[in-house]
Amino acid sequence: MSLEKFDAHNDYQSLVNHVYQCTDFDFVGVALPAAGQSTIKWYFVAGNQNEQFRKIVLRSGIGIAGLVVKTGKPFWQNNLQRFEYSNQLYTPIAQVEALQSAAAIPIYTSAIRIVDGVLLAGYRSDQQVSQESTSRLANYLTTF
Amino acid sequence: MLETLNWIERYFDEVTDAVFIFKEENLLVSNQLAKDLQAELKIDPNYLAQVADASVKQKLSPTDDCFKCSIRNLMKEISIPITLANDKLHPLEYFLIYHVIDADNHVFSLTLKSRGIIERMDQVAEQRQLNQYVNRAHEEERKKISADLHDSIAQGVYSAIMGVRRLNEEELSEANVAKLTSIIERQLNDTLTEVKGMALDIRPSVLDNFGLLPALRVLGQRTEENSGVTVDVVGNADTDQLSTNVQSVLYRIAQESIHNALKHARASEISLLLVAHNHFINLEVIDNGVGFDVPKHRQFNGRSLGLMNMNERVKALNGSFEITSEPGNGTTVTAKFPVATA
Repeated sequence: MSLEKFDAHNDYQSLVNHVYQCTDFDFVGVALPAAGQSTIKWYFVAGNQNEQFRKIVLRSGIGIAGLVVKTGKPFWQNNLQRFEYSNQLYTPIAQVEALQSAAAIPIYTSAIRIVDGVLLAGYRSDQQVSQESTSRLANYLTTF
Repeated sequence: MLETLNWIERYFDEVTDAVFIFKEENLLVSNQLAKDLQAELKIDPNYLAQVADASVKQKLSPTDDCFKCSIRNLMKEISIPITLANDKLHPLEYFLIYHVIDADNHVFSLTLKSRGIIERMDQVAEQRQLNQYVNRAHEEERKKISADLHDSIAQGVYSAIMGVRRLNEEELSEANVAKLTSIIERQLNDTLTEVKGMALDIRPSVLDNFGLLPALRVLGQRTEENSGVTVDVVGNADTDQLSTNVQSVLYRIAQESIHNALKHARASEISLLLVAHNHFINLEVIDNGVGFDVPKHRQFNGRSLGLMNMNERVKALNGSFEITSEPGNGTTVTAKFPVATA
């Protein structure tokens, strides 16, 4: 599946815009594999501070989004800035966007239930995230 | 008994420190080395006694800032740094050690210990600590490789196996089969990337095949992808003539500096500069992170061992190594190696 197809079927940019406008999250982003490539990158974001996020290549199992990709389950974590580089929970997107907390859910695009991408949202303030944040995100994703 | 005295006297003459023994202000006895020194440097033993006397007075003076310090008063000996032969080409640095032998009769000894020897001892102790660090680092490295193999490589292969099993066992529509195969492919690709990444971390083959600058570029690119931090690699260096050892050390310094910049300094921008001049090659790693107080970290403590190790490796190849940093102002690591141009 190519990015163009994603655009045609699901306009993820309007999804992240929608989530960004309807909630108080400071940053919302979607990471997906690009056309014909195996690398997953952040392509659709709202509330970003800079363009650094484009450089990040998601690693399965590393960081919040990486853990979602690997496990296929929602994941959230508070007080993100305490994790050092080389820690499994060091989340690059949280570093470049200065997020204190973030929640992420998997995006499934087909019936075979294997993760395609990640929808992540986070706060720069010390506002906490919880399971409730992930279910809110899931709601936006399913009703979209 | 007489013989024992003889032996003691012989030992006294043969010790490697010059020893003077005074009663009140007068020189009672000195060993051979002390006599030699006295003759050679034309030093007056009374001068030494005066120097010692002044320090003793300083120590006992109640106006000293440290007069409450009980540790100081418990010290049996006073050591005074002193430089002899100041006017000669090679000044000799000594510690003058004042030791009371018989307080009632005012008998005391003055020992001249060469500071060179003491420094050498410090170096040896430092070396030992460094060795221990290197051994521990080796072990840590192995632990990390083992964990990586288990957590990411084995896991990746396992999920690919599960995927293939699903292809066989489940009845899927053609579209879903296509989808699943592409996902398995992605998993295997991820695993491949991890394997390549690990190989790169262990020993970059780019370094062996294409030289230092391309290797640094790959390192920069990879760091960008893994952390989102901007890494600029700038250089003009033709590193073909550089010995493999120097190349490896420069690469490791870049790697360690980047790692420090990400881990401790929380930098958002790192620049690598590799510049070759006629007779030397210079690597600078500059970050815009929080910086740190360099002197505080010069001693052995967690992080600076990495720095210390870098320093040792550079020194071993006749290079120089420098870190400049201050809190809030980023860090610059510079390594410079002499290059013999043909």
